[in-house]
Amino acid sequence: MPPVSGPSLGRRQAALGLLASALTLTSCGEPAEEIIPYVEAPEGQVPGLPRRFATTLALNGYGRGVLATCFEGRPVKLEGNALHPASLGGTDAFTEAAILSLYDPDRSRTVRQEGRPASFEAFLSALKPRLAALEARGGAGLHLLTGHVTSPTLRRLIGRLRARFPAAQWHAEEPVDERNALAGAEAAFGQRLRARPRLESARVVLTLDADPLGPGPEQVAHARAFAARRQARRGREAPFLRLYAAEPLLTNTGAKADHRLALRPWEVRDLAIALAARLGAAVAEPDLPPAARRFLDALAADLQAHPGEAVALAGPWAPPELHALVHWINVRLGAPVDYLPAPEPALPLAPLAEALRDGSLDTLLILGANPAYDAPADLGFGEALGKSRALTIHLGPWRDETAMLCRWHLPERHPLEDWADHLAPDGTASIAQPLITPLHGGHSAATVLGLLGGRDGLDAHAALRETWMEAWGEAAFEPLWRQALHDGVVAGSAAVPVLPPAPALPDLPPAPLPPGLALLLRPDPMLWDGRFANNPWLQECPKPLTRQVWGNALLLAPAEARARALRDGDLVRLRLGGRELTAPVMLQPGMAEGVAALHLGGGRQRAGAIGDGIGANAYALRQDAARWMLPGLELEASGEQAELLRPQEAHKLEGESTRLLPTLSLEEFAARAAMPPAEQPQPASLFPAVGGQAGAAWAMVIDTTLCIGCNACVLACRAENNVPVVGPEEVAARRDMHWLRIDTYHLGESEQDPRPGFQPVPCMHCETAPCEPVCPVAASVHDAEGLNVQVYNRCIGTRFCQGNCPYKVRRFNFHGYADGQEYANQGDPLVAAQRNPEVTVRGRGVMEKCTYCTQRISAARRAAAREGREIADGEVQTACQSACPAQAISFGDLKKPGSAVSALRREPQHYALLEELNTRPRTTYLAQARNANPALEDEA
Amino acid sequence: MSAPDPAAGLLPPQATYRQLVATISNRVQRRKPGRAWLIAFALASLMTLMLAGCIALLFVRGIGILGNNTGVVWGFPIANYVWWIGIGNAGTFISAALLLTRQPWRAAINRFAEVMTIFAVSIAGIFPILHLGRPGYAYWLTPYPNSMDLWPQWRSALVWDFASIVAYLVFSLIFFFLGLIPDMATLRDRARTRAGQVIYGLLALGWRGSARHWQLHDRLYRTLAALALPLVVSVHSVAAMDFAASLMPGWQETIFPPYFVIGALFSGFGMVVVLAALIRQGLGLQAVITHRHFAVMGKIILAGSLGMALSYGTEWFSAWTSGDPAEREHLRFLFTGDYAPLYLAMLGCNLLVPQLLWSGRARRSIAAVVAVAVVLNIGMWLERILIIWNTLSHTHLPAMRGVFVPTLWDWLILAGSLGFFAFLMLVFARILPAAAMHDLGRLLHQREQSR
Repeated sequence: MPPVSGPSLGRRQAALGLLASALTLTSCGEPAEEIIPYVEAPEGQVPGLPRRFATTLALNGYGRGVLATCFEGRPVKLEGNALHPASLGGTDAFTEAAILSLYDPDRSRTVRQEGRPASFEAFLSALKPRLAALEARGGAGLHLLTGHVTSPTLRRLIGRLRARFPAAQWHAEEPVDERNALAGAEAAFGQRLRARPRLESARVVLTLDADPLGPGPEQVAHARAFAARRQARRGREAPFLRLYAAEPLLTNTGAKADHRLALRPWEVRDLAIALAARLGAAVAEPDLPPAARRFLDALAADLQAHPGEAVALAGPWAPPELHALVHWINVRLGAPVDYLPAPEPALPLAPLAEALRDGSLDTLLILGANPAYDAPADLGFGEALGKSRALTIHLGPWRDETAMLCRWHLPERHPLEDWADHLAPDGTASIAQPLITPLHGGHSAATVLGLLGGRDGLDAHAALRETWMEAWGEAAFEPLWRQALHDGVVAGSAAVPVLPPAPALPDLPPAPLPPGLALLLRPDPMLWDGRFANNPWLQECPKPLTRQVWGNALLLAPAEARARALRDGDLVRLRLGGRELTAPVMLQPGMAEGVAALHLGGGRQRAGAIGDGIGANAYALRQDAARWMLPGLELEASGEQAELLRPQEAHKLEGESTRLLPTLSLEEFAARAAMPPAEQPQPASLFPAVGGQAGAAWAMVIDTTLCIGCNACVLACRAENNVPVVGPEEVAARRDMHWLRIDTYHLGESEQDPRPGFQPVPCMHCETAPCEPVCPVAASVHDAEGLNVQVYNRCIGTRFCQGNCPYKVRRFNFHGYADGQEYANQGDPLVAAQRNPEVTVRGRGVMEKCTYCTQRISAARRAAAREGREIADGEVQTACQSACPAQAISFGDLKKPGSAVSALRREPQHYALLEELNTRPRTTYLAQARNANPALEDEA
Repeated sequence: MSAPDPAAGLLPPQATYRQLVATISNRVQRRKPGRAWLIAFALASLMTLMLAGCIALLFVRGIGILGNNTGVVWGFPIANYVWWIGIGNAGTFISAALLLTRQPWRAAINRFAEVMTIFAVSIAGIFPILHLGRPGYAYWLTPYPNSMDLWPQWRSALVWDFASIVAYLVFSLIFFFLGLIPDMATLRDRARTRAGQVIYGLLALGWRGSARHWQLHDRLYRTLAALALPLVVSVHSVAAMDFAASLMPGWQETIFPPYFVIGALFSGFGMVVVLAALIRQGLGLQAVITHRHFAVMGKIILAGSLGMALSYGTEWFSAWTSGDPAEREHLRFLFTGDYAPLYLAMLGCNLLVPQLLWSGRARRSIAAVVAVAVVLNIGMWLERILIIWNTLSHTHLPAMRGVFVPTLWDWLILAGSLGFFAFLMLVFARILPAAAMHDLGRLLHQREQSR
């Protein structure tokens, strides 16, 4: 059913409507509201100049500071907030894509009762009598369901609600939660403690089925800390971190590991037990396969050789006893880990499902959670919710699966439209401020919680000020509040780490070998738990390592698949615990045999025009008791084939081709660094020399050692440069549209140890660019600062430039992807509001490509000219560079002797891609430095 | 005189001028179109309409309806273009080179070969425009004066390609028309309707057949023929530059221009053979298009095939000896990559099948020569598409490798272009003499002189 209250108008309709209302206004007397131009312009507001505001976005309740760039009150780009501990100036893919979800045409626009549009007043009149009755019973039968909440304000309001309704029950559910980690801490320490490794102080790191560099609330901070310890630079003495990974499924962390072992989860557990035994624990060392034993020998020696600088990590999906064991190991190693107290837990989801079924539930308020989609299947939550006769209320920005089953649905404001506060993973508080008037009205969680707590008409702003007024006192409030809003972070609010008690060794009964295949569930690197499924940028962004877009697949080790006579793309029926699911198979090198893996987040039914029906819904097999590993999976080939959409697959590099992404051992690096930088003579070229005496010579250096393949740069580029979505059909036709791609190559010898390397490839801006002489109309030309620029309005679309580009970085508008032939609903005028006004939106039939964010260079040049100075080094930050959580991308002026890029270009591991073609690229690379353990190297 | 008969096997033994002229011009002026012609014309018209529909769709929905993708940015339109321009190469070559080398057998086939050239080059010229992202701006390739002071980018082979096609087409038209003038006069004189007299009369430009007319005509015709030969070479050399003036393995080869010219003559002669057989049968010209024509053209095809073999061999050998890993990788991909079956089929069509023509018996069988010609034209089209696919599908960076999948529209446009060509040839057969009557007359004259 189309939305009733907020019909989405076409451009033409909107223009006509506007014209009509303008006529009405001018012909029928006074306008309803006085419209005048700025007599006193808002401070700092210059039309055409962007302004930046600090705010906070949350993932799993944890805040990540962002700076939003706004043009005349319209946010168009999010970047990291350097002051915020969970951002440090970098972003991740989710943060970059959040700006598009603000303008999602599928967002809910109206209050609904039983699916029909209704008013908020009607909702109030339905709720009030209920509340009165509930109050009389002390709140028995009132349930509240939220996601993970760190917000001090929401916690305060929930506290009030519970004070008013003492018998009310609060449930919190996150599909990707910390319950195993907290349970492990409780087993080890007797306290709910959250462990936060300080990777920036570590020299040896062991991940046991953990993915600190993978997606999640702490990805950016971990990547930054990891990068700080992996700097291979001439003359730099700081230690270089060594990373070991033991994991069943290839992760970003495993890809960056110096040594990685593909082990089944129970073997990872055995490895951890054996390690604990080596460290002196009173446990029997289990039998390990020879490869694992060798790994353990080297690893245990290395860990013990670095007391105070060695740390082990377990992932959220590791079982509690493994977490407890890791705590024991870390304390034993004196590992750099901070322990933070975790707040009191809310109730889990299972009792809520029970209450729905047994009828004891009277009123249910769901804030932001979507259990009808993402609850484990064995809870039967959706069914129970649909059948319940209680008053069920859903507040959320989308009319999702849960909203469809609730009696009332209230549209929630987007996080960029609303006031809120969040805590970072380290406990630092930050305040989120609205950047735009709510596009579709909507309500805040604080308002609804206020209603239940007896505060009618409480808005989020007032609620927030109350919270912080309590914290700071009235006198000191205003300056602190302003400072917190300005900085995007509440200074000095980080939680103080506690000293944990001596850890207990957990009970480690020998685990029986699970029968058959074990199904591993993992959050999707691009869609997380499915909440981002309606974001086409994320859907179309190749997932790291699998490279898949627009869907998920059952990942199997190649040997496992061969044993079952399955090939890439075979549709299989997964049977587990009496439930069934169909998904295509994808062979994933580096996976352990005996397990299969599926990403959460697919198969949404009510995500919207983009996300509906994309991928397989892994929740359909999930069990509340076994959330991450489900043994006993049966596979049955359906005989059908599905197309796996992979714009660029990962390729194995061997022999000659390893020069595309070379790897140096630290010893080789040191040997080269000891020699003076060799000036290699440049081969002659028939091209005229580029760049005059004046002006800069822009160049980029990408350190492949640091790149963790997280895709933040890819999405930052997309957001900054108005790169359109093309949709799955066009991806299937091999016409994906990213200006910056991350080529993934397998550098390892075997399928078990693929050792993937990531190589971000933007335009090389060659000095002797092959694309230029072949263009018949001079649409591809060089500018004075060495940029290879594409003149869109001169391009006639011969595509010779891309044909002749050895790097194939150019992208063609085969259809009007942003010009009348958009995918799904992306032609909606609302989506156009996200476009960066400083970048042309390209029409059909023209070639486009990376511009080194020429609009940012231009802005810096103008600013410098106005102030009569030169552009400072580091003043121009390309979108990909500023997004990179690992700071792998450097950009600057080659002509400045002291600039960061010219220094990096003299590093011993510096190289140009396809150097032999004499294209003289301005984008160059630093080869991967690998810190291998000699004890594990000789055999390979 | 005992000189050998120059027209042996080319003209009926007892032919007279009247019979010759009647054989050819009655088709145009005396007889109604036959059933076969009507059916063929209806089919060709339908295919032409289909082509127009496809082009309209292409302009409305964009180049995206074709199979081109991010890596393989060129596809069917460019292959079709190179193929058609190759076919267009043979007509002028037959006319000019054979005239200059005094080959008597040229007389019966030069007319339709020239027409074939004009039609093929015109059709070829459509494709580069169809393949553009913004076809409306194709004229930006011309150096026209404009207020923006913008000129084409002269280093690009595409600009010269555009210029060479236009030059070749214009020249071919002039050359063709010059050869047509005496026959126009014949038709004017034989016309029975007023319209025929006026139209053919205008086209005859007042030709009276005086000795001075013949002398001037002959001199101009031979001069133009001498000018034509460089153009025949240039048009396909420049088309080859589209590939050779690049940085891509498999394209960046100095052998490309001569290799393309040989390929063009090879496929062009193939098409002439096919058309000769059709016209001979359709217009009942068995008397003037004879077994000897097919035998001679069979030899040229055989020579072309050997030339192609030499070109392929040189390409492989230089890729191997260059030591360039990218070139060697390309060579390996040719024989083992995604398109290897097509590549081997292409080698079979272009190199193996024409070897049949070593046999005199095969050369004397029209069916055999025509079959070889059809096969080699399929082979040549495969060669054109594979030059594009093999290089663009297998580029330097493994991450960007991938294949091309044609869409329905790719095939329909290719088929439509063949239909349009048939349509044009069918119209030609009804309104212009299919063989040069005055050249045949000259041959007859020479025979009578030599007797």
